[in-house]
Amino acid sequence: MSATTLTARRRERVLPPAVTGQELILIGVIALLWVLLALANPGFLAPYSIQNMLWRLAPVGIMAIGMTIIIVTAGIDISIAAILMVCSVTIAKLIAENGWNFWLAVGVSLVIGAALGAINGVLISYGRVPAIIITFGTANLFQFLGLRIFNSKTVNGLPAERGILGPGEGGRFLGLPIAFIIMVVLVAFAWYYLRHFPGGRHFYAIGDDERAAALAGVNVRRRIFLAYLVTGLLVGLAAAITIAGGTSTLDQNVGKGQELVTIAATVIGGTSIMGGRGSVLGAVLGALLVQTVSSGVTQLGWPSQLSNLFVGLFIVVAVGADLIRERRRKAKL
Amino acid sequence: MKSPLKAVVALAAAGALVLSAGCTARSDTPADDVSTEANTGTETAEFTVAFVPKLQGIPYFEAMNTGGQAAEADIPGLTWLYQGPTEADPAKQADIVRSLIQQKVDVLIVAPNDPDSLAPVLEEAKAAGIKVATADTDAPNSVRDVFVNQATAEGLGTTIAETLATAMGGSGTAAIVSCGETAENLNSWIAVEEATFASQYPDIKLLPTVYAGEDQAKATEMATDLMNANPDLTGLIGQCTTSAPGVAQAVKDAGKIGTVFTTGLGTPQAMLPYLEDGSSSGSVLWDVEGLGYLAAWAGAQLYYGNSFEATQTVGDLQGVTWDAATKTLLLGPPTVFTKDNAAQYDY
Repeated sequence: MSATTLTARRRERVLPPAVTGQELILIGVIALLWVLLALANPGFLAPYSIQNMLWRLAPVGIMAIGMTIIIVTAGIDISIAAILMVCSVTIAKLIAENGWNFWLAVGVSLVIGAALGAINGVLISYGRVPAIIITFGTANLFQFLGLRIFNSKTVNGLPAERGILGPGEGGRFLGLPIAFIIMVVLVAFAWYYLRHFPGGRHFYAIGDDERAAALAGVNVRRRIFLAYLVTGLLVGLAAAITIAGGTSTLDQNVGKGQELVTIAATVIGGTSIMGGRGSVLGAVLGALLVQTVSSGVTQLGWPSQLSNLFVGLFIVVAVGADLIRERRRKAKL
Repeated sequence: MKSPLKAVVALAAAGALVLSAGCTARSDTPADDVSTEANTGTETAEFTVAFVPKLQGIPYFEAMNTGGQAAEADIPGLTWLYQGPTEADPAKQADIVRSLIQQKVDVLIVAPNDPDSLAPVLEEAKAAGIKVATADTDAPNSVRDVFVNQATAEGLGTTIAETLATAMGGSGTAAIVSCGETAENLNSWIAVEEATFASQYPDIKLLPTVYAGEDQAKATEMATDLMNANPDLTGLIGQCTTSAPGVAQAVKDAGKIGTVFTTGLGTPQAMLPYLEDGSSSGSVLWDVEGLGYLAAWAGAQLYYGNSFEATQTVGDLQGVTWDAATKTLLLGPPTVFTKDNAAQYDY
């Protein structure tokens, strides 16, 4: 092997391209779908249609940032739907029943989200139990907590003030949903941090080979703990957007299934479920693809169940592609 | 129905019913002895009526629970047990039913998430000597003794279709946002709505029904997508208590109050803000607490082995009818909640 190919490969392995092949494919698929949907139904590209889709993208996209970091470290968090429920009901109760200011309630939600994430983080990084089992357990515990706060009653009479993060007219800046703008800023920051900061690269090192990372001086436990803590914090923010776009009542179904939507978005976006590879840009594209498919199915008047079929196929294809890439990579070494 | 005097009168009436009718048709059941004893006043039998909702924690079933608790206070000896899954999941519901069979409750009333998959579990209950009934949603192909029906599909479907058609001015495009795709009651109402639009409002075009599950956010999303895809859409039906506020919220967010009209099955408290701002033109439902009360009362009748009259008054509920062919107890005609009366109800 010549020296030039060796350096080329080394460079490639240190930093993947800014936009990966899978992300390019996703952009292509989404663009194709949007063109097809627009041709089938001009209403798809109406301003409000696009604004609403971007708004819906925000909570999933924000949670997917955390999920990407976690999956990159070869972990997973299936408790985020339960955290979302606890945070949402907390905000709702504080503003509807205790007359709190919305932003103060959001502050509490962020603290609770971070605290619940920290519980996951401590158990996983210091307990050394597989993340899927721990977060399955905490998901049930958090759900219990949320149901206790609900106390078998819906929260009624949520005020109109929450509109700033909502999908309506009061929640837009220069025509773009404010929630979406917040998501873009967070994604941009996370993308840059994960790619160019040593702290960000450490997450990848852990996912690739935890032992090697530890030997190289990475504080593995602290990094893993941080991944879950940050995810909880982001879920606390997603809860604020969920409340802002919800109805005047909140019931216990809030957040249901969001962990699967978020994991689907992350995996479809090219993050390897084995750890060590992935980007938040891909996760947001994955979320947009899932969003497009479920909207498209409704807008075309197709049976609702087809969106499950398509999302399922995308996940299988994405994971399959990832495994094939992994095998090729191993064969090359 | 809350006064003890009325309860005593009701019990005496029930007793008279047992003494007169019980000896002929049902004289072979041992429960008769218990009921006779209870009604002579020497001893009150203690029995448990368990109700398993589709899921716990949503306003609809909580209101039913409130009604059941009122019946518990009125009917001597009755213990009302309310236990459901935390999500509308057929398997989790079946687990709860099985655990209640283990606890040997006397009467089991279920609002099945999936009637077909629950049927064999109900059979297990019956084999264990438990009286079985359904309420809210029927499991017609099961061993249940009674179905406590809130309203006929006919009555509800027509009222919903008429409320929407009136708001829409009799013409335009409309769509239904339903919830569980296999929910028998929702599907039967949808069938009536479709038939009503087709026969009485031929100028209203109905789009294919979409299913949001019991998920408000999803219902809002789907309603938004339907409005975006069909600019001529002027009517939306939220077919269950989670999608009714969901579709109204979507209309409000889109700034289409007055252009797109909505109706549906919503609880008064949840619908009040939307009824007030005009994003909902009226919410069709029944007296949910009354349904809970009726279910508990029917449970007591089953326990005592009493038969039902063609028409009867149960507590404050008048005109409760019994259809022997389908073994269905019917609460009465539906109620339409508007901005004027919704505030009176506390569920």
